[in-house]
Amino acid sequence: MAASLASGNAIADKASDTLNVPFTKELESVDSYFNSAREGVILQRSIWDGLLFSDPETGEYKGNLATSWEWVDNTTLELKLREGVKFHNGEEFDADDVVYTVNFVADPANGAVTQRNVNWMKEARKVDKYTVQIITDGPFPAALEYLAGPVSIYPNEYYAEVGPAGMGLKPVGTGPYRVESVEPGKHFVLKKYEDYHDSPKGKATIGTIDIRTIPDVNTQLAELFSGGLDFVWGVPSDQAEKLEAMGRFNVVNESTMRIGYLEMDAAGRSGADNPMTKRAVRQAINHAIDRQAIVDNLLKGSSKVVNSACFPSQFGCEQDVTVYDYDPEKAKALLAEAGYPDGLSIDLYAYRNREYAEAMLSFLAEVGIEANLKYLQYSALRDLRNNGQTSLSFQTWGSYSINDVSAITSQFFKFGGEDFARDEEVRDWLETADTSVDPEVRKEFYAKALKKISDEAYWAPLFSYNVNYVSTEEVEFVPSPDEVVRFFQVSWR
Amino acid sequence: MASNIDTLAQEIQGPSPAALLRRRVFGHYGLLFGVTVLIVIVALAVLAPLLAGQDPYAQSLVARMKPPFWMEGSDPNHLLGTDHLGRDYLARLLYGARISLAIGLIAALISGLIGTTMGVAAGYFGGRVDLVVTFLINVRLAMPVVLVALAVVAVLGGSLQVVIVVLGFLLWDRFAVVMRSSTLQVRGLEYVNAAKAIGCSTRRIILSEIMPNILNNLIVVMTLEMAHAILLEAALSFLGLGVQPPTPSWGLMISEGKQMMLFEPWVIAIPGVALFILVLAINLLGDGLRDITAPENRS
Repeated sequence: MAASLASGNAIADKASDTLNVPFTKELESVDSYFNSAREGVILQRSIWDGLLFSDPETGEYKGNLATSWEWVDNTTLELKLREGVKFHNGEEFDADDVVYTVNFVADPANGAVTQRNVNWMKEARKVDKYTVQIITDGPFPAALEYLAGPVSIYPNEYYAEVGPAGMGLKPVGTGPYRVESVEPGKHFVLKKYEDYHDSPKGKATIGTIDIRTIPDVNTQLAELFSGGLDFVWGVPSDQAEKLEAMGRFNVVNESTMRIGYLEMDAAGRSGADNPMTKRAVRQAINHAIDRQAIVDNLLKGSSKVVNSACFPSQFGCEQDVTVYDYDPEKAKALLAEAGYPDGLSIDLYAYRNREYAEAMLSFLAEVGIEANLKYLQYSALRDLRNNGQTSLSFQTWGSYSINDVSAITSQFFKFGGEDFARDEEVRDWLETADTSVDPEVRKEFYAKALKKISDEAYWAPLFSYNVNYVSTEEVEFVPSPDEVVRFFQVSWR
Repeated sequence: MASNIDTLAQEIQGPSPAALLRRRVFGHYGLLFGVTVLIVIVALAVLAPLLAGQDPYAQSLVARMKPPFWMEGSDPNHLLGTDHLGRDYLARLLYGARISLAIGLIAALISGLIGTTMGVAAGYFGGRVDLVVTFLINVRLAMPVVLVALAVVAVLGGSLQVVIVVLGFLLWDRFAVVMRSSTLQVRGLEYVNAAKAIGCSTRRIILSEIMPNILNNLIVVMTLEMAHAILLEAALSFLGLGVQPPTPSWGLMISEGKQMMLFEPWVIAIPGVALFILVLAINLLGDGLRDITAPENRS
């Protein structure tokens, strides 16, 4: 019903040069500094540009709004800017825009929602019209990754006038797509920006992108059948298989940087005598879960079992760590050794992928661990973790698609609210690696930390996630592992 | 001769009350259908371990999403197929019937006890007691059941016991209303006055004079509330706040199958149909009981 109604007003095909796509979540604001959703990142990459661009295939940095860059000292990055770039509203791009944007978002008082994306910058200084310096808050080797990712450059005059609220309603950037209309949370129309500069992103080919919010996957698929949509992503593996079997659609699977893991309260924050404080129990849990079976039968696609507390492609993600095979007998023996010959009972907290959590319940039950599933909203579970009330929880982390271990391991093992290991040695090693500018030193210390995390079994790393992209046969699209759909790289066949 | 007189006497007296009741029962098809179906479901639930032949918790990831017997590619070991974790759907459906029936019955008993006590007290004593009870009923009626149940379960955490208790404590309003008005009707009748006159205790009057005469209403409300509780449990479990996995519950099964609705409609159709039949049977039973016990249908 909904499908037939909606398809009436959307002519979805190559002939009209309009690509119809759904967003699953309601986006709170289009202003990329004032939302934390994947949908926001997708729009950000199309509407705005960063100073740098990271090639999704090679991970190599290329100049985008900047043409060259250089570390003057440990905390000062000097960038030469591209000349002749114009914003969608005609405003000229120069150093003032960079200085204004950086100084605005780096000020915590302005309330950019994902502070870690911007709080590494102290300020930006104008050197001349096409040269700026960005001063970091202490040495920050991952700076380039952030400049190529979440830090987008806004037009200073326009942003000063309308602020984040106005930017959310009428976004203006330099990107390959300009925004035609915004109905907040509901409907976004993007038009190809004809005067797009010579950026490594490349010019867009499709004329119009029409985005509607459709929360339910089944409704999205129904619209795909009826021709109301051309391109859908995030389709669960079972449905993707069925769609592929139908032969009418292109189904592409690509891994993502998100990994799933079990977080165990080794530090005893939820109670000093909780069983997770015993290393043998944590190792038993690692041995109890048949991760390969979960990957093969539930996640499928390009998902892989992970053994280290990070996504394998991330810089510094040491792979030579202790690996715990699926071995229920060994798990039982370890439990007995830890003083639980008759098994134990524990709460398992989870906030997404209930079916994976249920599969784990069953594996744990086999070795005698009776786990009660507590399925909560993400925000509720985050509060419980920050208060140290969970002894075992199924977590996932997508690292904001930042290809560096600092975005995951350092996030969780440096005595933050979500650190249940509280290992001083690990923290110090990570600190050394995070703040060093020498890649070899960073690698060495990340490896040390990750090896200890595995030896001590602070986590049970499980698997990496994947995304299924489904499109009609007219659409040509090559996904990238960072889970970002780049509309400017979608084209008609 | 003698037999002739007997028939004549029978014609004058008419059929006995028992015969009349039997006639009403067997003439009421809705009631018969409801009772039969309910007996079958109860039998299936009780005999679940024998009939299912499989453990409803046994997971086999390699044998997941096997279709039921009427579809291609089905597995004779799994008549109704397997769910998303490879658990036998028939076994889960049968064990799920136990959960639904237990929740319906116990929740209706708890709420029946609360509601009847309050209703009878209000109807019999009147005055301030009535005022207080009526106020409580109004307060309770002003609260949306699903919302309150969701909030309480969210705070206490979902489990079978919590769901039963929460529903039991929320569904007493209809009992109280019906019992109060029924008691009001009988408390002024001669036999009650007679019992008072010969000095019977209040307890005795209520238990042996009033209760038997309002029992039929109680049973009807009980069946309706049982169906109500079963549906609410399914709704709560569907929203993830009811019975927690891996316990088999029909609401949970529908919730787990929701994602597959487009391609594998049987995953939600099977527990959905089961839920529909059970609630329909209980409602038909309640309806039938009302019909055959209501005074206007006795003649």
